Amino acid sequence: MSYSGVMPSARSRAMVRETRHLLFTVTPGAFWIFIFLVLPSAYLMGVAFMTNGPYGLPQMPLSLDSFERLAGFGFLGWSPGNLYTLLRSLWQTLVSTALVVVVAYPIAYYITTCREKWRPLLLLAVVVPSWTNQVIRTFGWMNLLAPGTPLSGLAESLGLVAPNMGLYPSNFAVTLGLVYNFLPFMVLPLYGAFEKLDTAQVEAAQDLYASPMRAFWHAVFPQTLPGLLAGIVLVAIPAFGMYVIPELLGGGKGMMLGNLVANQFAGASNWPLGAAGAILMLLATFLGLYVMRRLGKRLGGGEEVVI
Amino acid sequence: MRKRTLHRGLTAFWWLTLTFLYLPLAVVVLYSFNSANSSANFVSFSLRWYHRLLGNEAILSAFGNSLVLAISSSLIALVVGCVFGYGMYRHRHRKLGWLIVLIYLPIVLPDIVFGISEMAFFVQIHEWTGLLQPGLGTMIIAHVTFQIPFVALIVYSRFVGLDPTLFEAAKDLYATPVKRVVHFMLPTIKPALISAFFLSFTLSVDDFVISFFTAGPESATLPIYIWGAIKKGVSPEINAIAALMIAAVALAAILSLAFSRRRPT
Repeated sequence: MSYSGVMPSARSRAMVRETRHLLFTVTPGAFWIFIFLVLPSAYLMGVAFMTNGPYGLPQMPLSLDSFERLAGFGFLGWSPGNLYTLLRSLWQTLVSTALVVVVAYPIAYYITTCREKWRPLLLLAVVVPSWTNQVIRTFGWMNLLAPGTPLSGLAESLGLVAPNMGLYPSNFAVTLGLVYNFLPFMVLPLYGAFEKLDTAQVEAAQDLYASPMRAFWHAVFPQTLPGLLAGIVLVAIPAFGMYVIPELLGGGKGMMLGNLVANQFAGASNWPLGAAGAILMLLATFLGLYVMRRLGKRLGGGEEVVI
Repeated sequence: MRKRTLHRGLTAFWWLTLTFLYLPLAVVVLYSFNSANSSANFVSFSLRWYHRLLGNEAILSAFGNSLVLAISSSLIALVVGCVFGYGMYRHRHRKLGWLIVLIYLPIVLPDIVFGISEMAFFVQIHEWTGLLQPGLGTMIIAHVTFQIPFVALIVYSRFVGLDPTLFEAAKDLYATPVKRVVHFMLPTIKPALISAFFLSFTLSVDDFVISFFTAGPESATLPIYIWGAIKKGVSPEINAIAALMIAAVALAAILSLAFSRRRPT
């Protein structure tokens, strides 16, 4: 800034002070996130376009090798392994999100029907299990589903699994683990929607002799839609990138995209391939967020979905 | 009549879901008292796995690492995030779109992408400069990165909930900036700071994936230790340490309930 000649007006001086204030308060945090997250993500994206070196580390020249590998093209021609992994991730995400909705919807409604002073306690009861570490929760399911446990025995006697196989590792166990893990994420926003529910609309529907089904569909469901969409975002996006649950409960045939990516940085060592998988995951994340935002704006009657 | 059946059905469903939610945790606690080395059947009550824990140095050091990581990262995030949240509030009328993107990025990024990009980046930087040796330091950096947004958003929403004339009043009384911060701002946002600290702490203790990828050989936290033990083959000792962690969460839940009861909302 130059003070030569004209004195800056009080207004512009205040502007400068405000801007300096903004910089002082926001810079440390913004800088932190930029250096330690934006730059690393950008670096990872760059790695995806490099070639795999001798120790799995990225090398020049730039190439699209990693994306070809991700699509299944290797030294031995095309193999469907990675494609299966990708489809399995999508399928697991869809199924577990749908199941979470089916369980969370009545639970969220049930909590709003209880007396007001009990509601915080009931919500806490739903949320507390998710405060324990993910690894421990998944370990609990390993204990429950292992061969020889009552649940496995029951499944065996019903002929659902082969004798002495147990319920894990399996795709079923992964779905179960995902539903278990994400249930609270759906209950909370749905509860928020049910709590704000305008019952006058329901009464109006009943006065007009709407069947319970129709009353629900036209008077209740649209009002809970913003909460539902927020819940879907909170469940589906992390479910698609899940690593711990398929790793512990899925075994080799239950692998999801998160495991494919992580393995390239741990055992298999092919950073560019892993980075390409990460880009795919990012694209899916942002696509999901975008679609939900658009849907939320169109269906939510102007009310924006959180996020 | 119909309404009552619906309500009964819902109540039954509620208890069923609650069983589903607590069963895996209950099993872990139950088998931690099992005298036999088995996770399939419970033989008799014993504390032998807890005794074993006390002598296990790897577990004790993992516990120490978890605590150091959670406390130091939460403190750093509290300071940085609080200042950030205040800046967001003070300048909320400006166009801060890029800032919002920046603050939501750590929240929406899948854990695995978060952890791996930091790990790859840290390894590369370490190769070039010798800085950022994988260990507690890199883990603290990573944790602060995902804690900042939560602290900033909590502090921000607390400021938004305040009466803006309060700020004018403090100014009109010729309070110096330092006095305004110490006597007005910090006391008024104290509840937000406390809950932000506890949320950061919980997020840190709860995290596995990001810690796992940014950890060094000697900075294993409890979840990382447990992960390794599971991968090597399940030992009942894991039940004992996991049961202790579940007990800590139960204690936190009771405390938070008592805390929220005390303040009428």
